[in-house]
Amino acid sequence: MRSHVTPGAIAAALVATLASPRVAFPSTASDIAELRASLNALKAQYERRIHALEARLAAAEGHSARAARQGPQARAETAAPEPAASQPMTAAQVIAAPVGTPAADARGALTSGSAFNPQISVILNGNYYQDSQDGHGADRVGEALWPGRDLTTGDSASGEATAVNGFNFSEAEIAFSATVDPYFDAVTRLSVGGDGSLALDEGWFQTRGLPYGLRLKGGQFKSDFGYINVQHPHAWDFADQNLPYLNLLGEGGLDATGVQVTYLPPLPVYTLIGAELAQGDGERFGATLSPDEQEVLGLSQTRGGPRLWTAFAKVSPELGESHALQLGVSYASNSQQQSGHLLGEPPGLWTPAVETTGAAQVVGLQGRADLWGIDLVYKYDATGEYGYRDFKFQSEYLREVQDMTAGDAVPEAAGTRYTIATDGLYAQAVYGIWPRWQVGLRYDVLGLTNQVRGGIDADYGSSDRWTAALTWNLSEFSRLRLQYAKNDILVAPGERERFDAFYLQFLVSMGSHGAHPF
Amino acid sequence: MLKRLFLALSILAVWGCPLAAGLQVVATSPSMGALVREIAGPGVHLTVLAPPDRDMHSLQAKPSMIHALRGADLVVALGAELEVGWLPLAIASSTNARLQPGQTGYFEAAAQVDLLDRGAAADRALGDVHPVGNPHLDLDPVRTARVGRALAERLGQLDPASATQYRRRAEAFAAEVDRRVRLWAQRLKGAPGVVLYHRDAVYLLDRFGIPLLGLIETVPGVPPTAAHLKELTAGLAGQRGVLLYASYQSSTEPEALARQLGWPVQGLPLEPPMDADGEGYLRHIERWVAAIAAGQR
Repeated sequence: MRSHVTPGAIAAALVATLASPRVAFPSTASDIAELRASLNALKAQYERRIHALEARLAAAEGHSARAARQGPQARAETAAPEPAASQPMTAAQVIAAPVGTPAADARGALTSGSAFNPQISVILNGNYYQDSQDGHGADRVGEALWPGRDLTTGDSASGEATAVNGFNFSEAEIAFSATVDPYFDAVTRLSVGGDGSLALDEGWFQTRGLPYGLRLKGGQFKSDFGYINVQHPHAWDFADQNLPYLNLLGEGGLDATGVQVTYLPPLPVYTLIGAELAQGDGERFGATLSPDEQEVLGLSQTRGGPRLWTAFAKVSPELGESHALQLGVSYASNSQQQSGHLLGEPPGLWTPAVETTGAAQVVGLQGRADLWGIDLVYKYDATGEYGYRDFKFQSEYLREVQDMTAGDAVPEAAGTRYTIATDGLYAQAVYGIWPRWQVGLRYDVLGLTNQVRGGIDADYGSSDRWTAALTWNLSEFSRLRLQYAKNDILVAPGERERFDAFYLQFLVSMGSHGAHPF
Repeated sequence: MLKRLFLALSILAVWGCPLAAGLQVVATSPSMGALVREIAGPGVHLTVLAPPDRDMHSLQAKPSMIHALRGADLVVALGAELEVGWLPLAIASSTNARLQPGQTGYFEAAAQVDLLDRGAAADRALGDVHPVGNPHLDLDPVRTARVGRALAERLGQLDPASATQYRRRAEAFAAEVDRRVRLWAQRLKGAPGVVLYHRDAVYLLDRFGIPLLGLIETVPGVPPTAAHLKELTAGLAGQRGVLLYASYQSSTEPEALARQLGWPVQGLPLEPPMDADGEGYLRHIERWVAAIAAGQR
């Protein structure tokens, strides 16, 4: 125990003095400690009493509700049916007042109270992380070598570590969702980082009643490109994102600020086709340089949007109650992509900041970027409880091609054309080994093709990783995951980092019951 | 190229449209499917979304469900948040505005009758609780018959030409339920009581006044602890009764308890078979009645 008097103790003493004037003013630290202990004891005692009272009240309510039901039941059996109005399945709705229950207190004001509040959920995502790279491994997997990534700004786009050795708080995701009016549903998702940073993950509205199988969505949303892109980190089967998504699209995946239209045609099999038009200032896909860099490197300014458009189609044949399969093909195109690289070296390598080297050293590239994706998801729903023997296989292939032309700030390179092509895939499977327990295995690779053609020819190798995970779903609302990954990441031509990484992840969800999307 | 694609799409669209004859109804569970078959008759085009051996609460909004809802005139759900994880999402994804809650195309059985276990504290420390009430009302044949009458009214609104026919079928079903319930009540007279895994068969017990002697799971959606099972066994030692659990629940705990207590034990589906009609539904209830009656010996 510390010998000096803490501010808390002073406050406690003041409170105690004010509350009961007969208490002598404490003169020593030990007196204060004693006072504090007795205050705490008092508090605990009151809490216990309140809990006991609450429990008794709940029990009494249960009894009286049951008694009230016993009477009307017999009558209701013979009475003519009264088709009650359909009610949506939300906790806020009350189905019908039981017969005999008195109306609400007549003296109160009639108010809808909190009934119009949106459904709110908060999901906490954190981990204990350890790797054999002094904690740099989590960043390194997102910085694998490929030529389409701009490095003139030096660091990773987010500028902060995704996980360091030890405890990490990834994010608190706060989601609000509600029906706006007969025409729209809306969702807002905020992400609060462990450092207190606040970001708008999504904020969109979607139509409820368009005819002909059409649906329109607008705002800021995760693109429906591919399969995993729309999923938030808490919905992943592993603690981190796969290599192709992480490297080609960045931490947040393909975000769209714009509009989406989907069409569900009346076909014999489930088919969904859709397209998006969006602003397209992506973290990696559609990245542009800063105005200063653009001027120094002789590149055009960032154009007004929309610069990104996507198209996707998903098909799911009918396979009975236990099996489900979905196949998808997606395309995204961004009309403006910029990067810089050191003169005489191929793109994608480390590039010194333009300000320190001068324009003569750095070649600016600009052009367009196209992304193709195919995805396959197969799920087997076993009859077991809590996911026992359920199986899921999921795989996606992505291929990005950038058509780039060098800016005219460096005369010897001006107008040189480059075609950059990089692809990657992941395949993962999860299986319910016991009720609530799931094992997962993932292989992901970036750069099966990893090349530059044109002004300079270069072929980089690939980065890959094996990941195993054990997930324990304690309930539908909490989850613990142990994950091990064996990484083999290409960081520079011919230079690999091989390391192990462990995650012990927790995920808890508070608030309204989450949806179970496919 | 585009013209040809359009042509192909329109051919597919025409082929994909089911013949206009009869209502297209989607039922979430086999019991609701049985009720639809019984009340709507053979002319109805029915799709049942969940087979009887699954936990209706944990399903996902599969593309095949969205596909089935796409052209449906009516969706018949058990309701009271049993399908909350997937049905609202599947209805929204189906783009079928006629099926949204509040519309004629949305029918929730739980909204037609009084529910048990209503008003529980909305505290997840008590598990995955649903304060609107216990949704497993389909194990009570009397409530189910009442739901059938409400369903007949709804079908009549969607298809006024056959309204009297729907009403007649609902009345006939209710009469048959009445007859059986009287027989079952006699058979279950003096049945000693039941231990359930989850509060899913309480409606059936409540209907026939069978005591619920205990629950294997202490809180819904959370596995039971060894201490709780020990306490349960100690409290029930020397008594008579039956242990019943749904077929998707773990058999380990009920079987172990049954051995210790010397009670009969049985795992039964909560739902009738996929292709059940009214008679199939009543046979399903009959199985439960027989299982409860086994405790009398």
